Amino acid sequence: MQAPRLRWMRGRRAEEAGETRTLEWVGCDDAGEAIARVVRVLGPLWTGWRSYRAVALDEDGRVIELRPGEPPDGAGWLACVGGQVVGRAALPLQAVRTAEAALSPE
Amino acid sequence: MSASPLEKIRNIGITAHIDAGKTTTTERILYYTGVSHKIGEVHEGNTTTDYMDQERERGITITSAAVTCEWKDHRINIIDTPGHIDFNIEVNRSLRVLDGAVFIIEGVAGVQPQSETNWRLADRYNVPRIIFINKLDRTGADFFRAFDTLKEKLDIVALPLQLPIGIEDGFVGVVDLVEMKAIVWEGGELGAKYHDEPIPADLAEQAKEHRQNLLDTALSVDDAAMEEYFEHGDVEVATLKRCIKAGTIAGAFRPVLCGTAFKNKGVQPLLDAVLDYLPSPTDVPGIAIAAEEGEDESEAVHDRRRIKADPAAPFAGLAFKIINDKYGTLTFVRVYAGTLKSGDTVQNTTKDHRERIGRMFQMHADKRAEIKEVSAGDIAAFVGLKDTATGDTLASADDPVVLERMAFPVPVIDISVEPKTKESVEKMSLGLQKLAGEDPSLRLRTDQETGQTILSGMGELHLEIIIDRLRREYNVDANIGAPQVAYRETIGKPHTEIYTHKKQSGGSGQYAEVKIAFEPQERNAGIVFENKVVGGSVPKEYIPAVEKGIRVQADTGVLAGFPTVDFKYTLLDGKYHDVDSSALAFEIAAKACFRDGMKKASPMILEPIMDVEVTTPQDHVGDVVGDLNRRRGMIQNQESSGSTVMVRAHVPLKEMFGYISDLRSMTKGRASFTMQFHHYDPVPRNIADEIMTKSA
Ligand SMILES: Nc1nc2c(ncn2[C@@H]2O[C@H](COP(=O)(O)OP(=O)(O)OP(=O)(O)O)[C@@H](O)[C@H]2O)c(=O)[nH]1
Ligand SMILES: [Mg+2]
Repeated sequence: MQAPRLRWMRGRRAEEAGETRTLEWVGCDDAGEAIARVVRVLGPLWTGWRSYRAVALDEDGRVIELRPGEPPDGAGWLACVGGQVVGRAALPLQAVRTAEAALSPE
Repeated sequence: MSASPLEKIRNIGITAHIDAGKTTTTERILYYTGVSHKIGEVHEGNTTTDYMDQERERGITITSAAVTCEWKDHRINIIDTPGHIDFNIEVNRSLRVLDGAVFIIEGVAGVQPQSETNWRLADRYNVPRIIFINKLDRTGADFFRAFDTLKEKLDIVALPLQLPIGIEDGFVGVVDLVEMKAIVWEGGELGAKYHDEPIPADLAEQAKEHRQNLLDTALSVDDAAMEEYFEHGDVEVATLKRCIKAGTIAGAFRPVLCGTAFKNKGVQPLLDAVLDYLPSPTDVPGIAIAAEEGEDESEAVHDRRRIKADPAAPFAGLAFKIINDKYGTLTFVRVYAGTLKSGDTVQNTTKDHRERIGRMFQMHADKRAEIKEVSAGDIAAFVGLKDTATGDTLASADDPVVLERMAFPVPVIDISVEPKTKESVEKMSLGLQKLAGEDPSLRLRTDQETGQTILSGMGELHLEIIIDRLRREYNVDANIGAPQVAYRETIGKPHTEIYTHKKQSGGSGQYAEVKIAFEPQERNAGIVFENKVVGGSVPKEYIPAVEKGIRVQADTGVLAGFPTVDFKYTLLDGKYHDVDSSALAFEIAAKACFRDGMKKASPMILEPIMDVEVTTPQDHVGDVVGDLNRRRGMIQNQESSGSTVMVRAHVPLKEMFGYISDLRSMTKGRASFTMQFHHYDPVPRNIADEIMTKSA
């Protein structure tokens, strides 16, 4: 098994059924700069008559992008590089691989 | 066997569809753990857990049997359950008191309809499960195809912890994806000898891929494990096992193992997995106490108080099984909290009376070892309880809780029974009462008009076994009527009726008047009673007589004599006489009021509708569907996989008698079907007329 290239650390967390779960993993380069993230899609969220899924785009979750519709079949995690969504996955470790692959395409 | 600390106890069940290999697997477990010194075989009629004569003769499991064994310094209490739908109550009650289950499917056919039913039952009680794909030695076995049926039919995240090495005749062992090694069985020694090897080269790539999938899935339940992985690109075996256990208990995914019980391969790692991944009594949140009267049972369950497994707490246990044998009545109890010694007294909090515990046993199928005390987390059988039924709670008077109730299946087939000789009338009624006491899916009633004894059960096989046991265990030969559909009666609109019972014949007379409102209730509401009498127009002491009158009369409905269900009756008013009124007079008045009142409340007959699943080759689908339609069936859905099609339909039970032979001739024996009760529906007019004419 190959070790991940970035240093991944816990990002935002949330209380869920009495447990604190990590909603976001942040990938840092050697200089400690956050260059990639995998984010759990939350929701659904209702505003007016539409249902959205919410994805936080900043550290504290102040900037939120609302995405209409269900994530495709079980793909509850987004892989983001530099604010861009580069892929989706069902599990966080898969999203981590997707993000790293997008960073350094071979 | 010495007392084990709680963390070293596992209470597990083995469940699956019929013939998947549960008993065969249990038999291996007993051999490898040293409980038995030779392996019994189902087809030879000498297994430990199939101990009843009928089980050994037929090669099927009928009652669940509890056995205890030790593996690697842990105690495992195992309950082997039957697969046949007629004995579903056994699966039901076992799952209710277990902390975890091994769910077996077959390597050839994968998930079958009956597997699905039992899976949903385990869902209902939130039982953590590991899956064992058995019979990989059989011709046509295919691990991956069987695995796919888990996802398709059960809609779960199935997580392989093993891959097979070879298949059919060439199946020799498994790849262990947790420790990344091969486990290979040596021939002979009945599978007791096996060793580790490096993973065979031709499986290396596949193993690597599945190992990554295992990490991806398992670690996602534990943030600390994720960090360990980010640090090292892998995790310690102990970390991985911790994650698999957490995910298994939470139901986030279901671990899958494989092997062949019959050819003695794969059973020991299954036992290891039971210790590693299934919860001990302290790993589960504890059993919830029952809902208060009127509280919504499903919604409130999360908020209800839970009883934690603590040997020092006040005693609380659930009676889940009752057996009558030559030594008397044995009551199996799962202990949730506290410690109990023989000779102690506890409260039956369901029925509100005291019970004294006589002797206590740990059970090994039909053999037993006497014990002096039992504590939280364990299962024991008590002798000497007077009046404790399946589903009753036993608790300490210091904390008289009532534990969450059990759900019982609905019996749908009736037969009338009659002893062959007059002399055995008493004996038969006693025997049937004992058998009904053991089996909550069996109901017993007397038809008020004909005086006949009617038995209601889950199916023809179920009732056949009961009659057979009546003969063998209670020495009563009985004549039985043809199996009948267990119809029910109910009402369609409210009606209020007044009835005056008056009799003046010489000496003391009889006088009672009741005014009762009858109202329809939703399906499965049962019979509800409300007393709205004010000012003592019906004296308090006569109210139970009114209730009794209605309940007895309700057993014989006004249309065709079937039990009346799902209605509410409210006693609104009445009149009495100081001298001439009596409990009996009020009971008679209530009965008559029911007979007259129900007739005016749009009475109707209900029939059981079955959920039928037919598996047929493609070229016969048209015939099968057409035939189901003729049987008043409503097709629910139709799915094809390969060259076979699965048709699911709701069909009245009445139309299903003799279906198996019709289906065989229609499809030249290539189709099969299963069915189980789904719901009760009113019967169409013409059929109601037919039923009433027959009963008149
Ligand atoms: N080839 C093969 N046959 C097996 C295997 N396991 C069980 N069998 C056979 O399958 C038949 C049914 O096995 P049982 O162990 O009685 O199955 P069960 O699940 O207990 O059945 P019920 O209790 O009646 O639901 C028997 O004839 C077994 O010998 C296996 O791994 N391979
Ligand atoms: Mg069996």
